Amino acid sequence: MAIPETRTMTENEEIAGINANYEERYGFHDAEHYLYKAPKGLTRQTVEMISDFKSEPQWMREFRLKALDHFLARKQPTWGSPMLAEVDYDNIRYFVRASETPSRSWDDVPEDVKRTFDRLGIPEAERKFLSGVGAQYESEVVYHQVHKDLEAQGVIFTDMDTALREHEDIVREYFATIIPSNDNKLAALNSAVWSGGSFVYVPEGVHVEMPLQAYFRINTENMGQFERTLIIAEPGSYVHYVEGCTAPTYSSDSLHSAVVELIAKPGARIRYTTVQNWSTNVFNLVTKRAVAHEDATVEWVDCNLGSKLTMKYPSIYLLGERAHGEVLSIAFAGAGQHQDAGAKIVHAAPNTTSNIFAKSISKDGGRGSYRGLLEVAKGAHGSKSKVVCDALLLDDHSRSDTYPTIRIGEDDVNVGHEATVSRVGEDQLFYLMSHGIPEEEASKLIVNGFIEPITKELPMEYAVEMNRLIELQMEGSIG
Amino acid sequence: MPQIIEVCPVNDLPPGAMRLVEWEDLEIGVFNCAGNVYAIEDRCSHDDGPLVEGELDQETCTVECPRHGSRFDLRTGKPVTLPAYVAVETFPVIIEDLTIKLEVE
Repeated sequence: MAIPETRTMTENEEIAGINANYEERYGFHDAEHYLYKAPKGLTRQTVEMISDFKSEPQWMREFRLKALDHFLARKQPTWGSPMLAEVDYDNIRYFVRASETPSRSWDDVPEDVKRTFDRLGIPEAERKFLSGVGAQYESEVVYHQVHKDLEAQGVIFTDMDTALREHEDIVREYFATIIPSNDNKLAALNSAVWSGGSFVYVPEGVHVEMPLQAYFRINTENMGQFERTLIIAEPGSYVHYVEGCTAPTYSSDSLHSAVVELIAKPGARIRYTTVQNWSTNVFNLVTKRAVAHEDATVEWVDCNLGSKLTMKYPSIYLLGERAHGEVLSIAFAGAGQHQDAGAKIVHAAPNTTSNIFAKSISKDGGRGSYRGLLEVAKGAHGSKSKVVCDALLLDDHSRSDTYPTIRIGEDDVNVGHEATVSRVGEDQLFYLMSHGIPEEEASKLIVNGFIEPITKELPMEYAVEMNRLIELQMEGSIG
Repeated sequence: MPQIIEVCPVNDLPPGAMRLVEWEDLEIGVFNCAGNVYAIEDRCSHDDGPLVEGELDQETCTVECPRHGSRFDLRTGKPVTLPAYVAVETFPVIIEDLTIKLEVE
């Protein structure tokens, strides 16, 4: 992976140039010319209507309806964050259609929608450094493209709705095998009303050198976005999938609840990078889970900057011998935000290894939590794991919590856990300021140094973007 | 020492039917899957869910835990979906004198 270049004067100038707030950069919204906008609230009719719209096979319709029953039967969780009680399922629109079918040319995307993605820089990014792009607007994917040479090698990268139509056998074999519809209340909700998301299939031995990217955009108020992503990496293959997301700022809440399933077969490697930057009126309640078979590697790089409340714990089940799992997590909690992030890793086979590095930064009264599970099953001898979680508090009215759980069912293992919480130190600030660096700049340097071990794992373009976003969040934080 | 216990007459467990058998501290689910009878421990290895209260799929010969949705292969006891990843115990089934019997230990 590329390491971000040392900051130069030019880049500093550039950063100063984007001294805009979220409202201007991402918080805008388009006029609405939708083909269909569901009324608020979730009923059996809504679920059947989604299935009808998509002309789905009967088994998927039944899967959705069964999931709806699970959702209705389950109570809202009471753990995690008190903010969860504020989710109003009756005030959400569960399906909004912006265009007829996903297009393979930006020219065919509806004008308003295209302007949004232009403004977010997606077509430009595709030209420069991606193997393929999917762009989802509200409930469905409006644009999808993948390099022809990858298609020739048998790589499938498409939206989930198209995958169900064109690759039904593969979808049916793997869909919901990692996260069943009844796994939890939010997974049940997604299973009932899922729409859009990505489907990636990488054949045996194929290495997708450049990342595949999906961008998720919410535009309308009180929107519920429920994308469903499934990635299958056949033996010895490699793929890096990157997702980003933003939404307009509204005074009432939206809901994003994705289900993401990853399957890394023997010797395969999947890296999944998220730069989550929802506006601060979005509940982000996501279930992400992966399996790694023998000698396979799964890496989640999870950056949470936006949203009102995020509850997300990417997990990896190491099912085959010598499988490796890695979760790198950054959470940034500003005013009114709760980032309840973390990771789960289960060592279910011998000689498996894992690392969890989690960093959170809290400021202006924001709350960052690390919630993690590390489990070593009986028989998973020779397993090694290291968990490090660090929290940085930028003021005395912000909050950080750590909830680590470790379960070990085997004697011959090596497990380490480290946790730190620190304030931006007066002495660090004094040292930098004594070298002529202004206080605000000094504080940014300290934060950038804190998260650098994770941003260096991002592709360079994202690392730079990530640093910019952090800088943006840091504006005016010194007082 | 293995013991043989009686479950019920064959006719009382038609295809698609399931029933719970208790023996000492064991709870065993007995399932008729399209004419073949299988017996597995009635306790999901993920969160102790009661499998006989789940949904039997005769086509794939699996039962789904009602608690979090893990599906178990009745022939092997192995989970075919997460979140369970550890197999549950299986018990040999004997059909003798039109009666379903299990071998337990």
